[in-house]
Amino acid sequence: MDFPQNMSMEEAFALAEAEAKLKQVLKESTVRFENAVIPNRLNEDWRFGRPHKHAVALAELLQSDTPSQGEATVQHAGDAAVPVTSEDDDLRQTEMLMPTIGSDALLGMHLKRFGSGYALYIEEDTKEPILLTYKTDTLYTPSTFIMLAPGVKAHVIEQHYGNEKGTIFATRNIQVAEGAELKVELQPYGCARCMVITNIQNMGGKVVHYTHHFACDWAREETVAEIYTPGADNQLFSANNLICNQVLDQHTRQIHHVGGATSNLLYKNVVDDTATGIFAGNIYVAPCAHNTDAYQSNRNMLLSEKATIHSLPGLEILADKVRCSHGSASAPMDEEQLFYLLSRGIPRDEALALVSHGFLQDVVDKFERS
Amino acid sequence: MSLIIKDLSARVKDGAQILNGINLEIPKGEVHAIMGPNGSGKSTLSKVLCGHPDYEVTGGSAELDGQDLLAMSVDERSRAGLFLAFQYPVEVPGVTNANFMRAALQARMPKGETVDAVDFYKTMRNKMAALGMDTKFTARAVNEGFSGGEKKRNDILQMMMLEPSYAILDETDSGLDVDALRIVSDGVNAMRAPFRSFLVITHYKRLLDYIKPDVVHVLYKGRIVRTAGYEMVEHIEKNGFDFLKSEE
Ligand SMILES: Nc1ncnc2c1ncn2[C@@H]1O[C@H](COP(=O)(O)OP(=O)(O)OP(=O)(O)O)[C@@H](O)[C@H]1O
Ligand SMILES: [Mg+2]
Repeated sequence: MDFPQNMSMEEAFALAEAEAKLKQVLKESTVRFENAVIPNRLNEDWRFGRPHKHAVALAELLQSDTPSQGEATVQHAGDAAVPVTSEDDDLRQTEMLMPTIGSDALLGMHLKRFGSGYALYIEEDTKEPILLTYKTDTLYTPSTFIMLAPGVKAHVIEQHYGNEKGTIFATRNIQVAEGAELKVELQPYGCARCMVITNIQNMGGKVVHYTHHFACDWAREETVAEIYTPGADNQLFSANNLICNQVLDQHTRQIHHVGGATSNLLYKNVVDDTATGIFAGNIYVAPCAHNTDAYQSNRNMLLSEKATIHSLPGLEILADKVRCSHGSASAPMDEEQLFYLLSRGIPRDEALALVSHGFLQDVVDKFERS
Repeated sequence: MSLIIKDLSARVKDGAQILNGINLEIPKGEVHAIMGPNGSGKSTLSKVLCGHPDYEVTGGSAELDGQDLLAMSVDERSRAGLFLAFQYPVEVPGVTNANFMRAALQARMPKGETVDAVDFYKTMRNKMAALGMDTKFTARAVNEGFSGGEKKRNDILQMMMLEPSYAILDETDSGLDVDALRIVSDGVNAMRAPFRSFLVITHYKRLLDYIKPDVVHVLYKGRIVRTAGYEMVEHIEKNGFDFLKSEE
């Protein structure tokens, strides 16, 4: 290992120790992937809405020799965007260290196809949103890395197109430096299967994250939003309209490693027909993370008797002086709201559409205002 | 042409009987007031007339210009010319005031025609200005986060946009500041016309000093127990509802 010349003994020692630790962690994470089992019904994080069926099918697809094949495009990124290649060991390591919520085995399989997607090293404010798209009609496993330099303001939109038969399994690593502000949207469209593992590492900036799934048969999101520096602010939003037999399985962790920071989550679904919505969220506040503000709210509107919702909000608070709350509500459409619209002469079908659309639009409004 | 209510009785679905044979006739062009103690059934009467699903009509009839009001759906009643400014206007998250009003006006257009957006915004802005409302309210979600008085004004704005032939105002004065009360009353008075009538529900004389009623009814325990002129307002303001004790 080469040390910079002006480095003191102590610094060199610390650096060597850090490198050794990283090696150990990487070794352990290899073990982690080797030991991980494909999710089954007994797995706490894969319990509801029969998602394990999809997990098994996804695992089978990933274990087969189907190559990762797809098209990645990026617009309005200037020179910030660099294609991810299988030779990029730093990025591969970053992905190896990603936390999952029950999907270590699947992440391990994702790593075997590592080498597609984009890394965005954003050092200047974006004038228009950077638009990333991933498209496939077979199997595609891109990785996205977004790194925001201190004080920079950026907006990134990531779209996945599965062309009805395609499976997209994407990972996303988002790192935001002090004083930086990132708005980031994830929009999967029309995938047969869609799986996204996201890790947000906030070092004292602001991250406003919004996901909106459209016409995917099965979609699973694992989002771990971590705070490492006081003053950081993570805002997580999601709004989805689930119809037919769709399953949306969302898992979140809001992790406060340090105090004096904020995280906020608002996930809303309108669930119709025989669709299923699953939300399992957790707020973790580390023992020393005093003066944390953390909120989590999952709200669902059920439009059909055959629609299903599983909502499991959770808190794990090990510090004092925190302001935390979690809430979950699943209910049919609010009769008073509907009546109000009807009483102004708006026909029933349209009133239903306005109220259910408004229920989700509320999230979009909050995202846009954040 | 009038709103004719005969022996109207209603109860909360699977619950208490609230209206016990209401008789009321409101001819076009007139302003009627309803007063009565808390819980006597004033809001229930107005919601039953609009077809609120919480209530079940147990007897009697209501006719709007000769049409059977009770046979119509909630939205049909509105399009037939009935309007209720609510005692507690509802918040509708994510639906902007402008989209809400445009949908309501669109529902009144002949088949194949659409509301002209430019005209619509112009009209809406003018009416908002008349009510002293900031135009930013067009883009805000219906009543969401509005103050009590702002919600009341917003309901009156809707009335001015929809130009109903029968408007029921349920305690529109509550929550309005002194200036707003005058502004809203001016708005209502400007809409008074031979082809339109109002049913004003209130507890206070100050509103009826602005919007002078032709007839005053007293509702008590789900029945109209007195029908009189403006002098009744003064009587109630001075003496309260003690005189109703004889009705027990
Ligand atoms: N949906 C309901 N469920 C249960 N009780 C109801 C319902 N609606 C009305 N009531 C009851 O019916 C009675 C009449 O209520 P209403 O709101 O019509 O009174 P009001 O005359 O408008 O009173 P106020 O002057 O306080 O506005 C009250 O006792 C009320 O509690
Ligand atoms: Mg009332």
